Amino acid sequence: MNTSFLDYYSIQPVTSWIHEALCSVMPEALAIFIECVVIGVVIVALYAVLAIILIYMERKVCAAFQCRIGPNRVGGKGGLLQVPADVLKILTKEIIRLKNSDHLLYDLAPYLVILASILSFSCLPWNKGAHILDMNIGILFVLAASSIGVVGILLAGWASNNKYTMIGAVRSGAMIISYELSLGIIVLSMVVLSETASISGIVESQANGWNLFKGHAIAILAFVVYLIAGNAEANRGPFDLAEAEQELTAGYHTEYSGLHFGFFYLAEYLNLFITAGFASTLFLGGWMPLHVAGLDGFNAVMDYIPGVVWFFGKTFFVVWLLMWIKWTFIRLRIDQVLVFEWKYLMPTSLLILILMVVLKVFGLVF
Amino acid sequence: MSKFGNYINGYFSGLESLLIGLRTSVRVYFRKPVTEQYPENRHTTLHIAERHRAMLVMPHDENNQHHCVACGLCQMACPNDTIKVTSETVEGEDGKKRKVLVKYEYDLGACMFCELCVNACPHDAIRFSNDFENAVYQRDKLVLKLNHEGSSVVKK
Amino acid sequence: MDIKDKISTLVPGVEFKEQGDLIAVIPAASFHRAAEALRYDKEDAMDYLRDIVGMDWGETLGALYYLESTTTHARIVLRTETADRENPLLPSVSDLWKTAVIKEREAFDFFGIRFTGNPDMRRIFLREDWVGHPFRKDYDEKSNELNMNNEVNADVTTEYTLKADGTLTTEKHVVFEPDDFVVNVGPQHPSTHGALRLRVALDGETVKRVDPVCGYIHRGIEKMNESLTYPQTLALTDRLDYLSAHQSRHALCMCIEQAAGIEISERAKYIRTIMDELQRIDSHLLFYSCLVLDMGGFTPFFYGFREREMILQIMEETTGGRLIQNYNMIGGVQADLHPDFQKKVKEFIKHMRGIIHEYHEIFTGNVIVTTRLKGVGVLSKEDAISFGATGGTGRASGWANDVRKHHPYGLYDKVDFKEIVYTEGDSFARYMVRMDEIMESMKIIEQLIDNIPEGEYRVKTKPIIRIPEGNYSTSVESSRGEFAVFLESHGDKTPYRLHYRSTGLPLVHALDTACRGQKIADLIAIGASMDFVIPDIDR
Repeated sequence: MNTSFLDYYSIQPVTSWIHEALCSVMPEALAIFIECVVIGVVIVALYAVLAIILIYMERKVCAAFQCRIGPNRVGGKGGLLQVPADVLKILTKEIIRLKNSDHLLYDLAPYLVILASILSFSCLPWNKGAHILDMNIGILFVLAASSIGVVGILLAGWASNNKYTMIGAVRSGAMIISYELSLGIIVLSMVVLSETASISGIVESQANGWNLFKGHAIAILAFVVYLIAGNAEANRGPFDLAEAEQELTAGYHTEYSGLHFGFFYLAEYLNLFITAGFASTLFLGGWMPLHVAGLDGFNAVMDYIPGVVWFFGKTFFVVWLLMWIKWTFIRLRIDQVLVFEWKYLMPTSLLILILMVVLKVFGLVF
Repeated sequence: MSKFGNYINGYFSGLESLLIGLRTSVRVYFRKPVTEQYPENRHTTLHIAERHRAMLVMPHDENNQHHCVACGLCQMACPNDTIKVTSETVEGEDGKKRKVLVKYEYDLGACMFCELCVNACPHDAIRFSNDFENAVYQRDKLVLKLNHEGSSVVKK
Repeated sequence: MDIKDKISTLVPGVEFKEQGDLIAVIPAASFHRAAEALRYDKEDAMDYLRDIVGMDWGETLGALYYLESTTTHARIVLRTETADRENPLLPSVSDLWKTAVIKEREAFDFFGIRFTGNPDMRRIFLREDWVGHPFRKDYDEKSNELNMNNEVNADVTTEYTLKADGTLTTEKHVVFEPDDFVVNVGPQHPSTHGALRLRVALDGETVKRVDPVCGYIHRGIEKMNESLTYPQTLALTDRLDYLSAHQSRHALCMCIEQAAGIEISERAKYIRTIMDELQRIDSHLLFYSCLVLDMGGFTPFFYGFREREMILQIMEETTGGRLIQNYNMIGGVQADLHPDFQKKVKEFIKHMRGIIHEYHEIFTGNVIVTTRLKGVGVLSKEDAISFGATGGTGRASGWANDVRKHHPYGLYDKVDFKEIVYTEGDSFARYMVRMDEIMESMKIIEQLIDNIPEGEYRVKTKPIIRIPEGNYSTSVESSRGEFAVFLESHGDKTPYRLHYRSTGLPLVHALDTACRGQKIADLIAIGASMDFVIPDIDR
């Protein structure tokens, strides 16, 4: 199959050119260092901007589900400046030091959470040639990195020295560790389908068709399971029992204020984005355009849309799906969450893995 | 039914109920929001019921005259001591002594809008108005004088 | 056998008062025996203790016990008193009716009467370091300065026992062990529906014990009533259970009208009944919203508010208020119906019938909801009666307790409606009772709305209303249980004592029984499904 269209918008030549240009005026080590700093800044900036977009989107989407308008005063009719204003507000808030908390761990916790989030964020395939972290076991790295977040949550709950936060943290620990299993198994089944664990490899293997369609109904089922488990990983409703406002006031981050709270808030939304981003990477072909077999004209038009647009489009669509779920269902109870995982989701995901292997071995995939 | 049958059954009926919920919520998603936007709607869709009790007023006619004869029944009817009627006795032209209203003080901050004062008034001198935007920054600004400066009682 | 004869044989020489309610005056010494005999009577067991009203009769302190039979719905009032004002003791009936535990605490708090045999003689509404007992007529109002210190809650309760030789012994009961993991739910908490505080002992996620701490918004409405004239007392009823404002006020108006011998017009009765039912729909919609919100569902929450807004608009047109409506008056209602009222009510009912399926689709049938509510927080029928958990909570446990059916008032004996009774007693049954009652209320309104007779909406009353000496009581089915007014008049223009039966207090009391062994998330859901309103508990 002709895959030359993949190179239309590849930024590989640009990045190589920059690298060579830098190397020509300075030693390579320094060049790499400078590149790393620049990319780091870019990631953090993108992270913050995306958070603002996501929060705004969530507020508008949930308003629409609830027969409301949502933010509409600050910054014109659409309320576009509402979230930046909130961010500014949170920056000016005092970070309150609790008398009887464990100061070191209390201060460390939000950074762990945001670190885990940024690490997995950097693995997202934005476009052809625009992988920031890409290695041959990339997808496993993401699973490992995202698990650091739960340590932060546990620490936050414990170090705050508050009964609500403690319960919230323990809930979150039990839940995230359980759902990681399903998530991991589903990811494995997709690795089986794509024959590689490298993120760029997974995307490129979908050049001739998205995994969602390649794996028949099994892949669609896997997609649904992934969304559920991913939702739980991101601590979002109906799995938000670590926060459980109505029971634990704010769960593990009850005692946090100011920027520390902001970090938790930021990480929550970015985890949503990361979950959706990997959903689109694993199932919806990442930055691959949509191709329909037989419609060459249509396919050619699709190819002219840059990969980064495809990636964002798919990811935001998945984000919307996750919001739809969140704003429809009520919260589960802790025992139900665990029963659901161990009795329903785990067997389902194991079944998916087995079926996927069978499909692959007998060459029944597209 | 067998245990496994129950499990499978629960699995799919549960899934169905979730999908029904998703269908309902997405239907509402595409409906028009019901939000009323105050204060933008002040002159358009904002509807304050005619009988809404927002604050006590003493209507004056074009001659700056009201109907209060300073009998103090409203003051007595009030459960909260919200109303304070100050009166003085003056001699009229016909030589009869009668009470005249000097100051009708009304504490909006203490009023609980029970309408007993209006019910008690024999001359319909007071009523509740619809002006509900009464927020102020200082509590003493809520103590209002209802009779206008230089007003007098309507002669019968 | 007539109830009077029955009591006379139980306690020889018992005295009866018949001004208003029938009251049997029983000496304290034989009170517990008489109460026990009535409670376990074979043909007509008085198994429902409606309320205990503490009283200060000047020379004596005592209490009135309002009893009702759940089989025949016969009612009787017992009165017992003690002349010892320094150290008043009365026998507790908490071993006969569970609700007496908390009602006797209230009488102790306000009158200082200690009930021997009650395992929990802490104060309930006032601070534990409060000086004096404010409902006594000789209470000095200046005896308590404004106290800005934190209140320390006792973890130990005291039980007093009167020995045969007249000595008083005390026994301590531990509420919370020192190593219990006690979590405060409230008074500042997102899901306590007001300033209720629950001290909850947890074992991991499992609730071991719930101890409600009331009184954060206690306003002393009953005490205030003693210095207000009868029309003035009306204004405070809207502020008890603000979601049953019409119904509470209806009860008080009926009580005063009955006592003063005022006959109201047929039109006023229609208006009152329709308003009560509108209020019930309003309250049950809010119940739906709050239950859903407490379980973490934000979207259905708005559905309830969307429709409730329409009711509030209709009510505001006629009454001039949305929450505090101030509509019922002695002798009728404040104003005639708004000309659009009938049309709008009919529109609303049509709309509601067309949209309520959305409520059920997004919430009732949902698998998460059913697993979270079914079989959770079960309150048995015996417990519901013993706790006096009236309203939807009792009916969910299989106790047919609808005042509208068993002691009809207004026009409820003329309309056709079903009393919703479930038998499961769990949170889901409590929820379904309310949802079904919305439909029944609409049925009632539909039967009345087109037949409102012409006539005056309010009869003229004397400017100063005096009520002849005696005890009067009325009860109505408010949105969340039996709301009753107990009035003792000494012939003045102000009541001697005016007590309201709180619909929520027994529910809060029953919370401990319903929640033990459940998860903390269930505690919130059970609390929401019981549907209490705090101003009504604290009064």
